[in-house]
Amino acid sequence: MTEIHNPILDVQGLEKHFGGITAIGGLDMRVGEGITGLIGPNGAGKTTFFNCVTGALTPDAGRVEFADGDITGKRPSAVAQEGLVRTFQIPRELPEMTVRENLQLAPRGQSGERLTQAWLRGDEFATDEVRVREKATEMAEFLEIDHVLDAKAGTLSGGQRKLLELARVLLTEPDMILLDEPLAGVNPTLEQKILDRIHDLESQGYSFLFIEHDIDVIMETCERVVVMHQGQVLTSGEPADVKSDDRVIEAYLGEEV
Amino acid sequence: MASAGLLDALLQGLITGMIIAAGALGLSLIYSIAEVPNFAHGDMITIGAYLALALNKPGAIPFVPEFGGLPLIAAGVLGVAVAGSTGAIYEVAIFRRFRSKGADLITMVIVSLGLALVLRNVVLFLVGSGNINYDTERVTNTNVELYLTGNGLSVQTVQRQAGDLVTLGEWGYGWLSLLAIVVVAAAVGVGVYRWRSDDASFETVHLVSPRVFGVASGIVALAALATVLQGAPHTIDAAVWSTSVGVSIKYGVIIGLTLVTMLAMNLLLKGTKTGRAMRATADNMALAEIRGVNINRVQLVVWVLAALLTALAGVLTGWFASNLNPNMGFSLLLPIFAAVIMGGITSPYGAVLASLIIGVSMDVGVFLLPAEFATYRTAIAFVILIGVLLVKPEGLWGDV
Amino acid sequence: MALADFFISLLTFVTIYSLFGLGLNVKFGFTGLIDFGHVAYFMIGAYVTVFVAMPAGLSETYEGLTGLGLATAFAGVPGGDLLGWLVALVVGMAAAALVSLLVGIPTIRLREDYLAITALGIATILNAVFHNERWLFNGAFGIREVHEPLSGVFPIGTGSFQLNLLLFGLPSVAILGYAAYRTAKVVRPLGVRPALLGTGATLALAGSVVFVITTMTGLVVDLGVLALNVDNTIAFVLLVGSVVAGRAALTETDHIGALLALASALLFTLWYLGQPLVALVADGETADLLLNLFWLYDATAGSAGGLDYDRFFFLFTLAFLVGAYLWVERTVNSPYGRVLRAVREDESVPEALGKPTFRYKIQSLMFGSALAGAAGGLWAANIGFIDPTQFASTVTFFAYTAVIIGGTANNRGVVLGTAVFWVINSGTRFLDDFFPSEYAQQLAALRLILIGALLIVILYYRPEGMLGEQDYDINLGRGGASDD
Ligand SMILES: Nc1ncnc2c1ncn2[C@@H]1O[C@H](COP(=O)(O)OP(=O)(O)OP(=O)(O)O)[C@@H](O)[C@H]1O
Ligand SMILES: [Mg+2]
Repeated sequence: MTEIHNPILDVQGLEKHFGGITAIGGLDMRVGEGITGLIGPNGAGKTTFFNCVTGALTPDAGRVEFADGDITGKRPSAVAQEGLVRTFQIPRELPEMTVRENLQLAPRGQSGERLTQAWLRGDEFATDEVRVREKATEMAEFLEIDHVLDAKAGTLSGGQRKLLELARVLLTEPDMILLDEPLAGVNPTLEQKILDRIHDLESQGYSFLFIEHDIDVIMETCERVVVMHQGQVLTSGEPADVKSDDRVIEAYLGEEV
Repeated sequence: MASAGLLDALLQGLITGMIIAAGALGLSLIYSIAEVPNFAHGDMITIGAYLALALNKPGAIPFVPEFGGLPLIAAGVLGVAVAGSTGAIYEVAIFRRFRSKGADLITMVIVSLGLALVLRNVVLFLVGSGNINYDTERVTNTNVELYLTGNGLSVQTVQRQAGDLVTLGEWGYGWLSLLAIVVVAAAVGVGVYRWRSDDASFETVHLVSPRVFGVASGIVALAALATVLQGAPHTIDAAVWSTSVGVSIKYGVIIGLTLVTMLAMNLLLKGTKTGRAMRATADNMALAEIRGVNINRVQLVVWVLAALLTALAGVLTGWFASNLNPNMGFSLLLPIFAAVIMGGITSPYGAVLASLIIGVSMDVGVFLLPAEFATYRTAIAFVILIGVLLVKPEGLWGDV
Repeated sequence: MALADFFISLLTFVTIYSLFGLGLNVKFGFTGLIDFGHVAYFMIGAYVTVFVAMPAGLSETYEGLTGLGLATAFAGVPGGDLLGWLVALVVGMAAAALVSLLVGIPTIRLREDYLAITALGIATILNAVFHNERWLFNGAFGIREVHEPLSGVFPIGTGSFQLNLLLFGLPSVAILGYAAYRTAKVVRPLGVRPALLGTGATLALAGSVVFVITTMTGLVVDLGVLALNVDNTIAFVLLVGSVVAGRAALTETDHIGALLALASALLFTLWYLGQPLVALVADGETADLLLNLFWLYDATAGSAGGLDYDRFFFLFTLAFLVGAYLWVERTVNSPYGRVLRAVREDESVPEALGKPTFRYKIQSLMFGSALAGAAGGLWAANIGFIDPTQFASTVTFFAYTAVIIGGTANNRGVVLGTAVFWVINSGTRFLDDFFPSEYAQQLAALRLILIGALLIVILYYRPEGMLGEQDYDINLGRGGASDD
């Protein structure tokens, strides 16, 4: 196990139970800068881990620190404002709003989102909104959903919803992004584009924690991999080491890899 | 003369709770299986009560042909039965259609609100807004007066007949027999509980939970012993403490009927194929459908059952209060919702228990609070509900 | 009563309830909060406004808290009582918002159905408190000492009959003319023949309905009496019908809608102007014609005629409605409104993107409640007497029905839906004339049965309401390009 010396995300003793089921049982994880992969079999607790870290669920025990601040039990909006944002594994588009509005919703710190600004409309109001519109359009073009900008999000295809989900999170421009299988169902060319973009963003200083079942993608993209199994961290380290780890092969990858 | 006290309020509350329970049981079925937060539930109660009225006192309703009227028992049974078919109408004509369109919770709430508006005004239209009551024998209250004296407990039953107080019976218990009654009854209760839960492995589905069995046998034992061990009355002049509890045959009927109904519901839910289908649907409608459960049939059964239960509650309320009015159901709606949410929506048994708690709190609360708060009886149910929601939004008992 | 007077009073109601509905739309339409206790804020707005404006010791039968007398506090300034009343209204709105804050903090996090039932419960309890506690606001006896702002000033006029006629009559006719112009614009592309056909068919239909009703009931024989009793309400039904159909025609360019619009507009005109014309020809009676044509002008008010208080008050409430409409439009057409709608669609999304949804929901609740409070203040001044029975839960349910009929999350839809609702509920009162008076209650119940059924039918066949959700456009003003 490689040690992370200055983790951005530091989780200790995390526990989450659903009735009798232990989804997360005393999990410790430290995530540093760059792109970290998170893998594990179905039901390993990866999504639940995201939920607990971002405040969508309140953990039963444990402590979550982000950028040296304690964020345990904070509301999701507070966590997001600290700079830690997540995507949903099953996309949650806002069906009655247009794709454009779905995107424009995302950027943080819009002055027009304050009630007083919405009423009084000071100088910032217009400049902020113009900026938000440009960014939204640019992101839509990048993810190739610009032709459906004015469609209701409820009419999108499954893959387009995935892209919308990803686009929204990228638009918040956080410090760290938790991606829950962002590539599942996305076509191969676009998949490569997204991965390139993730690398791009990484070089700009963003960090990623990235759930993905495709081990090859993980091998190519991540500097480090964490393997979860039955609510705990099985192991972590360089992708190559992890891939050849016996326990990982037994629990997750199977023989033929 | 002893005056009414806490014990009287408790008994009153129990009756209130029983009536709420009949409504709450139906609502919890609709809520969990049909997934409709049914705001028409109160008005379904009113409809049930007035259906019985139409048969019992046809002259009171302009559009019903005068035919003399049935005795309340027959009218009640028939009225409840007819009400059951109205439940089928609600399901087939309204809720099934909305379900097949995949209507969300908000829509269902508003639809049920529209239904409530229709039902209440149907009553107003046909009968008018006045107070009215069933044509049936007057039931006289009997006061059971308890006196605690140096020698033990003395009991007097008193009734007001033609303006005069008449003592019907008088008997007493010595300290020893009192102690014996309590101890034996408790022992019987605990014993039965042990015996019932003994053979329980994890999978056993109890038709009646051991706890309920235990409490019931305890109460039966208490009543039996109290009858057997009656002794001579003590002089009550030197009573240290006394209280009077009003009882009437109505109490027995209400408690008996609701208990029987609950038992029947219990049998249905746990012992029959339909019941299993209902529970599967409550768990996960989509999954149940895949597994071959006929959802439409299940929902039909649910609405009919709920309508039967509400009608029962309506007839009992109208008879107990000797008063029917178009608002009677709506004023029960809040306590019923309170009970169902408090009991945890998916649990009919939780709803029943919560109903009793709410009924008792309402009446005991009114008794304990200064007189000017008596008008806030419903508010008490509500304060409890809000308290529960704030502390434990999933209800007190979750799934059972 | 001339048709115009009936109109003014009905329109004042519609205006006030539209304001109430706008508040509900903020909560329910744009934020998705099912506040079944909306009427509580209407009640609080009414009571607090009255209480703050009301001078002490006006009446011996009032045993509630002593009023703050703001209406007389500014007596020195011209229009001081209006100023005092406005302050009172603002206090009323603030009180409504504040109470909704207190209610919202514990309940707004709850599931939507739990919120609905708790809000209903709280409103019911509040109503019971206002009903039972005489020391508070006189309990069930209500308050008669309601200040009606500027009521002393009216009727106003110039002192010259001709000048008054010009001053108030001209805009009246101009407005009627404009309405006719708009109707014509709807109908123009149709050509004459289908228009005439449509009109004929509608006339025949309306005639046969009247015929059937009269012969069936056998209660009304004298057609003259019939016309007098029926005209007011039928006319209003027709007017709203034409507006509705005209809207439909505008939005969907369907010819049937346009035909209906033309037909009902024609019928309305016939009724509105024809019936007083008949009176003029038959009896030389001019008053009704004058009133209907110059509807803002009341020739009988004062010595030389002028603007009476009822007409003024209608314009006054209308001004409030327009103001509130613009205010709500500004709110929802902004990034703020975008977050509100996101909360409505799926609260977890804006929350995950860093928007504190709790705060948004509370603010929406308070804003909507403040608007309900303003409606309450106007309601009190319009009725002149308030008691708790005016604020039963049914008022909330009516507002939901109106909003859903018109189109949830559509501010124009609120106004339209409210108008349609009150046409069904009040406009069909004329049917009462066909039945013995002891059936009044039955008929009221029948109307509500219809409304309940209509609510269900609309939810099933057209859940988006008549107009559907409105479009949004954030106006950036100076050179800011709009959302292309
Ligand atoms: N809300 C919930 N209620 C009950 N159990 C839950 C809930 N959420 C998750 N679980 C359980 O917790 C366990 C972990 O689920 P989780 O969604 O975290 O798995 P995962 O690692 O994301 O799997 P996948 O790769 O399939 O997405 C599972 O057994 C699941 O059934
Ligand atoms: Mg997952």
